[in-house]
Amino acid sequence: MNDTENPYGNIFISHRAIATIAYQAALESYGVVGLAPKNFAQGLAQTIVKDPLMGVEVRQEDTAISIDLYIVVEYGTRIKSVSSSVASSILYKIEHTTGLTVKEVNVHVRNLRVSDTD
Amino acid sequence: MTDDLQFNDLTGKETTMLEGGINGQDFKALFDAGMTWLRTNHQLVNSLNVFPVPDGDTGTNMLLTMQAAMNEVQHSGELNIGKMAHSLAKGALLGARGNSGVILSQIWRGFARSLDSVDMMDVNQFVGALHEARNTAYKGVVRPVEGTILTVIKDMAAAAEEALKTTSDLKTMLEVVVSAADKSVRNTPELLPVLKQAGVVDSGGKGLYFIFDGIARFLNNQPLDTAIATVQPLSALSLEQTKEEIEPGQDYEVVVDFKPYKSLNLEEFYSQLSDIGTSIQIGEGDGMYRMHIHVPTDRRYDPIDYTMSIGTVTKVNMENLLDQMNGSSDSSREPEIKFPEVEPGNIAVIVVSPGTGISRIFASLGAAGVVHGGQTMNPSTEEILHAFENLPTDKIIILPNNKNIILAAQTAVSMSVKKVAVIPSKNVPQGLSALLRLIPDGNFEQNVKEMNEALSEVETCEITQATRSVEINGVHVKEGEVIGLLNGKLVYSSDNLKQTCLELLKEAGADERERITFFYGNNISEKEVNTIIETVQIRYPNHELEVHQGGQPHYQFIIAVE
Repeated sequence: MNDTENPYGNIFISHRAIATIAYQAALESYGVVGLAPKNFAQGLAQTIVKDPLMGVEVRQEDTAISIDLYIVVEYGTRIKSVSSSVASSILYKIEHTTGLTVKEVNVHVRNLRVSDTD
Repeated sequence: MTDDLQFNDLTGKETTMLEGGINGQDFKALFDAGMTWLRTNHQLVNSLNVFPVPDGDTGTNMLLTMQAAMNEVQHSGELNIGKMAHSLAKGALLGARGNSGVILSQIWRGFARSLDSVDMMDVNQFVGALHEARNTAYKGVVRPVEGTILTVIKDMAAAAEEALKTTSDLKTMLEVVVSAADKSVRNTPELLPVLKQAGVVDSGGKGLYFIFDGIARFLNNQPLDTAIATVQPLSALSLEQTKEEIEPGQDYEVVVDFKPYKSLNLEEFYSQLSDIGTSIQIGEGDGMYRMHIHVPTDRRYDPIDYTMSIGTVTKVNMENLLDQMNGSSDSSREPEIKFPEVEPGNIAVIVVSPGTGISRIFASLGAAGVVHGGQTMNPSTEEILHAFENLPTDKIIILPNNKNIILAAQTAVSMSVKKVAVIPSKNVPQGLSALLRLIPDGNFEQNVKEMNEALSEVETCEITQATRSVEINGVHVKEGEVIGLLNGKLVYSSDNLKQTCLELLKEAGADERERITFFYGNNISEKEVNTIIETVQIRYPNHELEVHQGGQPHYQFIIAVE
């Protein structure tokens, strides 16, 4: 939990809310074609409980937020550029929407999706 | 960054290539033409980015992507268009920069795949290639956003399909496609509200338009190296002015705002002005135009007289360029920056800097190397690595001094065998504050800890000019106003520098602090700096004030409050 002051009281923004912002931003980010489970165990758990925000982890140290993103990238695009883009887009969107400070956005490319072979 | 942009000669070639179809070498020449035209206009594309601070780089990213593609086929004499297209696409993939670059690389990838077994491309195959380009581009994202480059390639493919019913001529088809791209780009504000709010079209779409327009121009033997007298959005003009060079014989810069009596004949207007002076730019605003020109002293009133003859002049600005030149040429004669020698085994600090003056200060405080951020503060991981790989120590600390560079710096860490730490400084004052804590022969972890702590000790203020009207954090910003950012967040906007500066310092809590350090950029005169400093000193008589020439682009002031 984190809070920002406002004249009427305190505002708490849940990690889930932050994760949702990151999730939506990731899906709109070019080159990202899906979000993936962190590891096999989590993937197995997914088959039982469908978590709509799989692939996004939010951590917090004091007031700084850290995001870990597990993505699937479209084969044939430049992974480095796609990752930078999604990271900076998420950072901007979260800071802009919530006013919180994002310490880091870590991008983990879990898989590539091959739509066409060249 | 600008070192990457190469300037090849593109001599107009005879366009007999369309007979019988387009082969590999033809395609290479066309691609080159598209790239050249994009290069000529890439700064205009950059100016369309939608943020209040002018750090846009879509044009540059797309250009670098095209250049990477061309580099791949530099020495290729390949005649088969399928193979040539594949090589170009491969080059684009490897060199794709930024979001727009990646989408562009996907477009070429689809284009190439469609031409897999084709030797010479005819009009049908061209249309098919556009379709495949569109399909591949759309596949690369889960939620495609309309009103972007995706929409433009979609509209181009659709128009081509339609035109196939009435024409089988490649040149005509290309013209149809370019016209469709133009129309699609103009329509993007209707599809994406944030574009409409900012009063611009989509930058990526515009970049794609320029590429295909360049190809069409090449086939019509039109020039590609000089921007034609196109009317730009007013905001694009202000960016150009900070970057242009001053030619000999041009003593005055004259800017005239006017309303023409009747519809402005651009070619005529431009040609009349070219008889008077150089560096002509024409910007279109709300119901008015702004004309900008460099003239010799004895002709300094001619542009005003001419403009008055064709419309109502509302505002005139005249500036003596020689005076400005004398101010800045002193700095160009400054000696090279000397960095301290790194003792083998000691800790070396690498900093990213937006300006020469700032680099000099970092060096004087003990930085072992500087990576120049350039206009867009977007150095590559390679540039950062290069700065420290050859130093005689394996203990490295990086100060990125910009939020967007932190990631590139961390990537450099993972690519090096040295012990590298990134202190996540988001701006220059934080970087300086951290650097002051450095003990080069001390313990690495201890230094990293101290430097991290230093980051929160300084309040950073940045002042620049808004290129858009927006509303952010409850602050209303009008285009052209002077905006103030505190630790990266926009907190104030006004129509003059003095007011923004004072308010910003107040927000930063300067009353409770002791020292204010100013770094002034390359877009403000020393005279104006002195006026501001005097005002600040009067307001804060007991504070210690320091002023340095930072030389950074875009930001009139970067201020550290401690």
